[in-house]
Amino acid sequence: MSGVLFHEQTARQRIAALADAGSFVELLAPPERITSPYLAQLGIPVSFDDGIVIGHAKIGGKKVYLAAQVGQFVGGAVGEIHGAKLTGLFKAAARDRVPCILLVESGGVRLHEGSAGEIAIAETMRAIFECRALKVPTIAVIATDIGAYGGIGILSTCCDHRIMTEHGRLGISGPIVIEKWMGKKAYNSADRALVWKTSGGKTKYLLGDADALVHDAPEAVRDALTKLIGKSKPVNLGSVKARQKELQNRLKRFGATDDPNVVWKGMGVRNIEAASLASGPEFAALAKRGK
Amino acid sequence: MEKFTKAFPSKPLPTKTAKPWALAGVVGSGNLEVLLESGGRPKDAMECHVETSIPGYKASWLAALADFAHHYPAGGTKVTINDQGAPPVLVTLRLRQAYDHLTKGDK
Repeated sequence: MSGVLFHEQTARQRIAALADAGSFVELLAPPERITSPYLAQLGIPVSFDDGIVIGHAKIGGKKVYLAAQVGQFVGGAVGEIHGAKLTGLFKAAARDRVPCILLVESGGVRLHEGSAGEIAIAETMRAIFECRALKVPTIAVIATDIGAYGGIGILSTCCDHRIMTEHGRLGISGPIVIEKWMGKKAYNSADRALVWKTSGGKTKYLLGDADALVHDAPEAVRDALTKLIGKSKPVNLGSVKARQKELQNRLKRFGATDDPNVVWKGMGVRNIEAASLASGPEFAALAKRGK
Repeated sequence: MEKFTKAFPSKPLPTKTAKPWALAGVVGSGNLEVLLESGGRPKDAMECHVETSIPGYKASWLAALADFAHHYPAGGTKVTINDQGAPPVLVTLRLRQAYDHLTKGDK
């Protein structure tokens, strides 16, 4: 391991660390200045890449399409340009039958250009399912505390696979939103243990929403990608019905509890404290996913 | 928002650079992004385009940019900045990072 932490890298550094050396070709790169017309109208500074880096590269000699969101720019939120880049990338993946990887870091739709963002997310989901119908693998990597929320949370779960680290979070409504609606007693967004035990990588892995739980290191993410890059999961009536049954089961078992430890125990974690302190891969070894 | 453009005298950029453009920083609170591009411009000046969300600090901007153009051979480059309230010292740091990436490649 190089000692580099994946969640501390910039979007372009993450891509450089995952792709074969020198193989990444950026599409619509910063010099093309494809920026948000809405932010400019509102007097908010724009970014040359509108918060997402897209392109193609090779991983282990295999061609892939790659996107990395820039969480520091408006929370990695999806505006019209950002969304169009995302949609285009997955469409290109379907057209060329090339696997597509999204390094996620986004709170969802950018509220300054909400309608455009919502439409873009819907179009991207359609493109992802186009890939899946063609058995072109799609992978979301969720490895930072900005995580995958809102439309991007939904979009991430549309992909064949999700790779997470213990820093990563996946959900629809963010903790503060839940607290605003349900009250602090129901969900305290300042309680980090509660937040990560409900939406963090460990819990998502336990419930089967994440396919791999890896160290917060580019090498570990790359290893997991190499294993999943050639695999697609079928989407058909059978798989959708099986998933529906799984979710109904989950609701029946854990729907009434307000303690995430009950979920952990129910899913086969024996020693909560040891599991809380364990690294991602150690946790994956400890937890047997309720079997 | 405030927007301005100015060219500053600077010694010519080394003829061999690692790449045609480099980006440093990100548009976030108290931060900025600097895009540095080489090629196709007069070799004796650094051309600067600044867009900042905090108006009223043009004099500080011009001083920071003139200082950089004086200390680094950046003639023939184009600097474009998207700023969200970065302090002058960070402006200088990002310019140096972008310059380093352009001339030596990304690290």
